[in-house]
Amino acid sequence: MKVYPVLIKLLFGLLIVLPLVAGLSYALSYSLGLSGLLSKGFTLDYWQKALTSQNLWVSFLYSLSIGLVSVVTSLCIAVSMALSWNKSIQQGRLSYFIFLPLCFPATVMAFLVLQWLSPSGWFSRIAFELGFICSLNDFPNVVRDFYGVGIIFCSVLLITPFFTILMSNIYRNENLLELEKLSKTLGASSRKTLRCVTLPILFKKSKMTLLLFVIFVMSSYEVPLILGRQYPQMVSVAIVQKIQKFNLNDIPLGFAMSVLYVLLVILVLVLFGKPSRKYLKPNIK
Amino acid sequence: MSQAFLRIHQLDKQFGQDQILKGINLELTKGQTLSLIGASGSGKTTLLKIVAGLESADQGKIYLRENRIDVLAPQQRKIIYLYQDALLFPHLSAFDNIAFGLKLQKAKHIPAQVNAMLEKLGMQDQGHKMPDQLSGGQKQRIAFGRALVIKPQLLLLDEPFGALDPEIRSHMQKLFKNLVSSQNLTAIFVTHDLKEAIIIGDNIAKIEQGNLIQYDSKSAFYQDEKSGVEDEILFWKHLKNETNED
Amino acid sequence: MISKVLKYSFVLAVVFPIVFLLGLSLAQQWQFPEILPQEWTFQHWGNSLFKQGDILESLFLSLGLSLTLASLVSVLAFFMSKYIAYSKYRQQYMRLTLVPYILSPVVLAVTFQYYFTVANLSGNFIGVLIAQLFFALPFGIVIFNNFWNAHLKSIEQLSFTLGASAWQSLLKVILPLSKPAIVLCFFQSFLVSWFEYGLTQFIGLGKVKTLTVMVFNFINEANVFYAALACVMLILPPILLLYLNKRILILAR
Repeated sequence: MKVYPVLIKLLFGLLIVLPLVAGLSYALSYSLGLSGLLSKGFTLDYWQKALTSQNLWVSFLYSLSIGLVSVVTSLCIAVSMALSWNKSIQQGRLSYFIFLPLCFPATVMAFLVLQWLSPSGWFSRIAFELGFICSLNDFPNVVRDFYGVGIIFCSVLLITPFFTILMSNIYRNENLLELEKLSKTLGASSRKTLRCVTLPILFKKSKMTLLLFVIFVMSSYEVPLILGRQYPQMVSVAIVQKIQKFNLNDIPLGFAMSVLYVLLVILVLVLFGKPSRKYLKPNIK
Repeated sequence: MSQAFLRIHQLDKQFGQDQILKGINLELTKGQTLSLIGASGSGKTTLLKIVAGLESADQGKIYLRENRIDVLAPQQRKIIYLYQDALLFPHLSAFDNIAFGLKLQKAKHIPAQVNAMLEKLGMQDQGHKMPDQLSGGQKQRIAFGRALVIKPQLLLLDEPFGALDPEIRSHMQKLFKNLVSSQNLTAIFVTHDLKEAIIIGDNIAKIEQGNLIQYDSKSAFYQDEKSGVEDEILFWKHLKNETNED
Repeated sequence: MISKVLKYSFVLAVVFPIVFLLGLSLAQQWQFPEILPQEWTFQHWGNSLFKQGDILESLFLSLGLSLTLASLVSVLAFFMSKYIAYSKYRQQYMRLTLVPYILSPVVLAVTFQYYFTVANLSGNFIGVLIAQLFFALPFGIVIFNNFWNAHLKSIEQLSFTLGASAWQSLLKVILPLSKPAIVLCFFQSFLVSWFEYGLTQFIGLGKVKTLTVMVFNFINEANVFYAALACVMLILPPILLLYLNKRILILAR
C-alpha cells in the first residue's frame, strides 16, 4: 500500500472529520444527559425542553429573518451597483474601493455601527446639531433594538461588497452585456430585458451563494454580540451564552441547540450543496 | 518470440461498467509509425495512456524491446505522450521547455542541443519567447522538440494537429515525417482524419468499440470495405462526374 | 453627472470609516453633541506602542498566530486538496469539507471545547492555533479545489513522461504553476485567523489576547479611543494585502 494516500486520508480524517464528529457526539451526549456535570444517565428531558422552548424557536426564526432581510437588502444594492458601474468595478480605480470594505472584520464593522448609530453616536450628534432632536433620548433606538436594525445594517455593510463583486463577475462571465443587446434587438424594452434576461441569469448563477450567505449571517457571532440584545438572541450568541452560564441546567440546552444548528447546516448541504466555484465566504463570523 | 519493438498482449481496460479495451494485441517494428484511427470514445486515448503509464490496465502485458514495461513508472519508460494541447509549461520559455527533460537527465551541452533542436524546428529565433507569445503551430513544434530532444524510445501522439488550421496542419505533418525518419523514431499516431492517417503512417490500425484491428500493410487497409477509403474515393468520383455533367 | 456624484459618494462612504476610526483613536475628549472631538492627542498611540505595550503585544501575538496558521493551512490544503480533486470521491470529500466551512466557528468551538480542556489545550496559543486550523483548513481546501483541473493534471503527467520523478515534477512544474493559488490561500487564511474572535475567545479563555479580543475588551470597558486604535491596527494588514493582492483576488473569483 502506498504511504502518501494513506497519510492524506489520515490527515483528512483527523483534521476535518474528527473535530466535527467528536464535537457533535459530545454535544449530543451532553444534551442526552450521558455526559457533563449534571449527567444522570440517558434522558430526553433536555431535548423535550429545548424543542418546546419558545426561546429556541424565537432564536432560530429571529436569526433566519435577519439573515434573509440582510441578504435581500444587500442583493438589491449590489445588483444596482454592479449593473450601473460594471466597467469601473472590473477595472479602474473604483475596483480598489469596492474591495476596501472587505478589509473590515465583523468586529470592527460592528464597533463602527455602534459608534454611529447609538443614541450618543455620531449620527445622533449630527441630528442634534441640525436641530432634528433635542436630546440623545430622542434619537431612534436602532442599536440593540428588538428588530435587529443595527445587526442588519452592519451585515449589509459587510456582505454588499461581496455581492457586488460576485454579480459583476457573473455579468462579465456570462456575457450578459451581449445577451442584453440581443434581447433588445429581438424587440424587448430595457425594463423587460432586465426582468426577463439580466435578473433571472444573475439569480440563477448566484442562488447557492445567496443561500450560504443567509446561513453565514444567521450564524454570525461578533455582530450580534456587540449590536444585539438579550431577547431575542441570534443562534450563535444564544448557544455560547447558554453554555457559559452559571445555571448548569442551561448547558445541555445549549448543546441541544448546537446539535440542531449543525444538523440544519448539514441538511442544507445535503439538499442543495454542490461544490461550486462560485463560493465566497465573508468574514462576518 | 517475435522481433517486434513494441508488443502489446491481451490488454483489457474497464471504466465502471464500460469495457473500453478488449483483448488488445499490437506489434510495431523499430522506426515505424503506426496510424491509429477510430471514432471519439473508441478507446484510442486510453490505450495510449496505458502504454505511457499514465493509466493502468486491468489485464495484459506491454513489452518494449522484449522488456516488460507495464510494471514500470511513467518516468522509467522513456515513452513520450503528446496531446492535442501542446501543454507547454507556461512558466518556462520555449528554450527552457525544450531543455526540461535534458536538465532532468543532467545531460551535457544542453544549450547546444536545444539550439540545434530549435533550428530543426525552424524556430531558432524564438527560444526566448514565453508560451503565451507563440502561435498554436509554434507551440506544437516546441512540444515536439521537447519530446524529441531526449530521444525517447517511443512517441505517442494523440491527435496532435487536431486544433490547427489546414495549412499549418499540412506543414506540421511534413515536419513530423522528416523529424521521425531522421531520428529513426518509433511512434503511434492517433487521428480521426483518414487522410492524415494515410500520410503519416507506415502502417495503419483501427480501433472500434474497444477492439483493435491491425492491418498487415497499407494496401490491406485500403481493401478493407469498412476502412472508409472506398467511400471516400466514391465520393470524389461522384463529385467529379457531377462537375463534368454540369 | 448623477452617476459621477453617486460614485464619489460611494468612495467617500468607503473611506469615511477609516478616517472615523483614525480620528477616534486620536481623540481625548469627545462629549455629546460635539461632532468633532474637543481635544486631540497622540498619547493613546504613544502609550500602546511604546509605554504600556499590551496592544503591541497583541499585535505581535495576532501576527504570529495568523502567519503560523496561514503557513500551516497553505501547506496542508495544497496537498490535501490535490489528492481530493483527483480522487474518485471528490464530491463526497468536498461535501464533508463544506460542513465545517459553513458552520459558525464559535459553535464548532463550543462542541469540541471539552476535548481541548481535557488535552490541556484551552487557554494557550497552541490550542487556539489547532482550533483555528479545524475551520481554516476546510477554507483552504475550498480555495484550492477549483485550482486542480484536467489541464494541470495533463501537464503533470507530461512531466512524468519527460522523465521527472514525482518530487521533481512537484518542484519544477506544479509548485511554480500553483504560486497564485498558494498566495491566495495564504492571504485568505491569514485573514480568517486575523479576523477571528468567537472561537479564539472560547478556546483561548480570554488568555490568548489577539487584537480582536483586545477590541472586545476595550468595548466592554467602554474604552472607545483604545478600541478604535486597536481597530485601526486590525484593518491595516488587510488594506496592505488588498493593495498588493487585488488582482489575485479578482482572478481567483
